[in-house]
Amino acid sequence: MAALIEILNASFQYHPQHAEPIRALSNINLTIQSGEFIAIIGANGSGKSTLGKLLNALLIPDSGVVQIHRMDTRDPGNHAAIRTQIGMIFQKPQDQIAATIVEEDTAFGPGNLGLPADEIRNRVAFALSASGLTDYRSRPSYLLSAGETQRLALAGVLAMRPLCLIFDETTAMLDPAGREMVMEQAKALHRQGTTILFITHLMEEAAQAERVIVLNHGNIVMDSSPRKVFNQNIEEIGLEKPTALAASKMLRPFIPSLPKDILTKEDLFNHIPYYDGNQSAPSPAQKQTTPFQPIITAKNLSYTYMLGTPLEHQALDDLSISIGSGNMHGLIGATGSGKSTLLQHFNGLLRAQSGTLSVFGMDLNNRKLDTQSLRRRVGLSFQQPENQIFNQYVGDEIAYAARQLGHSGTLVNAVKSAMEAVGLDFLAYKDRLTYTLSGGELRRTALASALVTKPDILLLDEPLAGLDPLSRKEVMGYFKSMHDAGLTLVLSTHQFDGIIGEMDAVSVLQSGKDIAHGAPTSIFFAKDSKLPGGLKPPFAAELCAVLRQNSWPVPAGIVQLSKVIEMVAEITKRAQA
Amino acid sequence: MSQFEYLRHVSIGQYLPLDSPIHRLDPRAKIIGFSFLILAVSISNNLCSLILALLVSTLLIAASRIPFSFAVRGLLPPLPFLVLIATLQLVITPHAEASAAVFGVWRILIYSEGILAALRLLLRFASLLLILTTLTSSLSTIEMINGLNLLLKPLQQMGVPTENAALLVQLTLRFIPFLALNAEKIAKSQASRGAKWDTPNGNLISRVQQIVPLVIPLFTNSLRQAENLSTAMLARGFAGSTARTSMHIYRFTLRDGVFLMFLLITAAGILFLF
Repeated sequence: MAALIEILNASFQYHPQHAEPIRALSNINLTIQSGEFIAIIGANGSGKSTLGKLLNALLIPDSGVVQIHRMDTRDPGNHAAIRTQIGMIFQKPQDQIAATIVEEDTAFGPGNLGLPADEIRNRVAFALSASGLTDYRSRPSYLLSAGETQRLALAGVLAMRPLCLIFDETTAMLDPAGREMVMEQAKALHRQGTTILFITHLMEEAAQAERVIVLNHGNIVMDSSPRKVFNQNIEEIGLEKPTALAASKMLRPFIPSLPKDILTKEDLFNHIPYYDGNQSAPSPAQKQTTPFQPIITAKNLSYTYMLGTPLEHQALDDLSISIGSGNMHGLIGATGSGKSTLLQHFNGLLRAQSGTLSVFGMDLNNRKLDTQSLRRRVGLSFQQPENQIFNQYVGDEIAYAARQLGHSGTLVNAVKSAMEAVGLDFLAYKDRLTYTLSGGELRRTALASALVTKPDILLLDEPLAGLDPLSRKEVMGYFKSMHDAGLTLVLSTHQFDGIIGEMDAVSVLQSGKDIAHGAPTSIFFAKDSKLPGGLKPPFAAELCAVLRQNSWPVPAGIVQLSKVIEMVAEITKRAQA
Repeated sequence: MSQFEYLRHVSIGQYLPLDSPIHRLDPRAKIIGFSFLILAVSISNNLCSLILALLVSTLLIAASRIPFSFAVRGLLPPLPFLVLIATLQLVITPHAEASAAVFGVWRILIYSEGILAALRLLLRFASLLLILTTLTSSLSTIEMINGLNLLLKPLQQMGVPTENAALLVQLTLRFIPFLALNAEKIAKSQASRGAKWDTPNGNLISRVQQIVPLVIPLFTNSLRQAENLSTAMLARGFAGSTARTSMHIYRFTLRDGVFLMFLLITAAGILFLF
């Protein structure tokens, strides 16, 4: 039987106007059999999405051949059949919705195939129930949450009954529960025989595939099982190992019984041995705490969008929060829990509908508030940088706030130091066109634009979403140095694993309420602590709990992997002494 | 404060997914019937006819199970203007020379013709509003598109591509809330970096100066989204050339016929009965 997908020596270049062509893929050879589950990984700009688009004939190779069941994508007569067989879910689900009503959007694809009404209705019913949207049938598509929009995008593709599904960084903007749901759906479809191609930045997801293809600068550099791929030195090309694998490598010197082929969290946790040595616990070095001085104080905030219309929904519900000067304060919670709404209150973009809010002692309920001087001291960087950048050139974009609100020293120096703070070279980037920037560069530009007035508080809305592992690590490093320099950082995030150890305090939001707050150590270890749906404790906390279950005298309350390793090292060293 | 909630001010397609006899009707019956009713109310100039129209439109609201408070709230924003115009009608409507003033306030005399004109205006406005609310709340955009599509089908035989016209309407409607959301994001981004979006006082020039930096990125962002959408539409099998089908089959039943006849007779009654 012929392979589902066959790529022979395919190359592809983008041809931007008035610029050199950009080589996206070079001499790709690839065979994919029916029923495989494949992850495609690679840094930003390595050609992952381009590869996906070659497969359903959205792009045609400049040279070489792409065949789907022997149908050549160069023949336009094959396109309808190819696109029915190969479905694609894109990174921004809201951009692939064609109709204003959920059910009608799901019917768009089958309608294009010219199917009879009965068959379309059957398929719509099937697709909506498979993606859990049956109750949303007659809702307006533009008022769905991010996770729901994602499910609608999936439903639209499922209604086509495809043989192969391509997920193009589908999970980038979702919270952990949303990501897990997408992965579960992919697995369920795979069990039913659908071929799955999962393009992702998250190595934990890639580790769950049967086969991993690694792209680097448009070339396939590895194509093997996840165990083999992740035991290579993939850090060299801007990727990272799945956390469980990295942790097992660090633990093995102290726990030699750990097998070498650990890939998932479950693997690792099942192999932690029982400890029967000395039970005296080493005490973790206490983090130096500065006295708590509130800089933002909110009491009983409530906010309802679309107030007074049949579509109103409450985003904040009687929420109180206090944020300390110089702290890094994390807001965690599922999508739709009110994090963005809360952040937009802190610089006066949204005004409290009820309750009080003061920042630097300024009363934000005051109608005559001097918003300019407030915003000079409170920078805000939004979710999805591409929606907040509005200038043509990077330099102008970053200078905007300084021109509007003032700056210290010359404008050039203000822009330059803001760019340096996030690792953008002034000369190389100031005249770059903003629409040519990659995901990581866009994020840095957005951060620099908020930093240019040298604010005292920086508000960050999902600053780590959609970044590849290398950029994520670098951006977290910048936050750490800003925090060390005394800046107050308030950041909302789903992906808090790498940064949680830096945080002084965490608030957990659910349905617009602050359901738990305190030091990160207490949040994830309190006996009665119940994390709201959509959230998971950090990996280090879970590892810590498993060690303790196995009688390791590891103190509770560690949220950083490096600290857990230190403790294990200490315990084994004592046992030997 | 909702100065940045642009979507809240977009009221197109305030469809209320209720289950009522009116909602279940064939869209063709609603489009034709309501069109004639609106036409009749607009051109009729008889007090009794307009009272009949108000009664019928109240009946329609009740039959479509739309909360009365929701329907009436639409009356409130234009109410000051209506009162102003009605007052003007009271005063300036020409009257027959022989008629005596009903009453006078200070030196202004009010004649019965003026009172009738003001009443007609208010009645006409109230019934039109109730009829339009019934129509838009009970007819989703997609039903409207499908209904128009079916009604325009005869044109297709003459070679007019009505199929794509309907898709065009659908995509346009889909983009309205997205434009509002995009504008909101850019305005918020500019405001949080010092653009004076929330200071209401400002002359026309400074307002224009504010709008230009919003409109340009709004267009580039929306064009990018449109490009993404067209890619996604291709990926979802849209070819443009082949005939698309719909998930709905509309059957014009006896019930639809009876409803349509009722609306047509009412429209005729409004026009010719009195």
